[in-house]
Amino acid sequence: MEFAKKIVKTTEEIFNTMIFMEVSADAPLEQGKRALGCHVSAMIGLTGGFSAMLGIHCPETVGLAISGAMLGMEIEEVDADVKDALGEIANMVAGGLKERFAAENIGLELAIPTAISGKSYTIASSPRSNRVIIPFSIEQGQFFIEMKYNLN
Amino acid sequence: MKYAQDIAAATQEIFSSMVMLDVTPGEPFKRADSKLVNSISGIIGLTGSTKGMLAIHLPDNVALAITTAFLGMDVDEIDEDVCDAVGELANMLGGSIKATLDPEGSKVQLSMPSAIHGEEYAVDCLADAELVTVPFAFNGQTFMVELQISKAN
Repeated sequence: MEFAKKIVKTTEEIFNTMIFMEVSADAPLEQGKRALGCHVSAMIGLTGGFSAMLGIHCPETVGLAISGAMLGMEIEEVDADVKDALGEIANMVAGGLKERFAAENIGLELAIPTAISGKSYTIASSPRSNRVIIPFSIEQGQFFIEMKYNLN
Repeated sequence: MKYAQDIAAATQEIFSSMVMLDVTPGEPFKRADSKLVNSISGIIGLTGSTKGMLAIHLPDNVALAITTAFLGMDVDEIDEDVCDAVGELANMLGGSIKATLDPEGSKVQLSMPSAIHGEEYAVDCLADAELVTVPFAFNGQTFMVELQISKAN
């Protein structure tokens, strides 16, 4: 089903058309647990043709740059605006994936996004699930779009 | 508060049947702007006729005690097994809540669970959602189970 390709295309599209930011995808990271050094994340569950959890994970400076570009203002700390902006991006990326999978007759439904933020946290992955992590680069650094999924 | 009783019933059921622990629910509240310290959280999404997110927040020592009881083996650090057990706990709690929200079993689906572990982090509700948190106690330890239900349904 080419998860990685769909994630790259969807993320590029959302950033180009909704946030007016150029992003470039790097090679997907290898499967497994890895500390991404991130300080703000948003996650959203998906169900239907497969069950999944999609996340966007950003180091602080990258999260501030992305939400600043999206909201059209300077943002200096990870506040409610930043969390909302990332939640909205998670929602849009999940929505874009839903459309791409719908074109292949794979139906998906979205839950609601939640923000995770803090000085240090890690997101674990179950050994029983598949995981794709794609790094994307912007001028300020890298962020990651992660999708964990189980084919039903 | 709506859903508080469902959370209490689901959590008591799962803990007594799967973890063999009797847990006592406390007063429900709306958790806001609070950081979780040295904790692990399991989250799982709900979609369908009820959209939302269910979370269980456990201090590290409580997560170790529960995982030890759940897996029937001693664990003394937050490793993959503990993260996996907490995700699985979220999954079982989600299943139990789903049975209440959707007795016919066809209108609400559960996403994949995820576990978050850290020294200091926040888990915030973003959507226009109803949020209710229920604290639980056992053997002098406490943890929280939280449900966000979108108002846009």
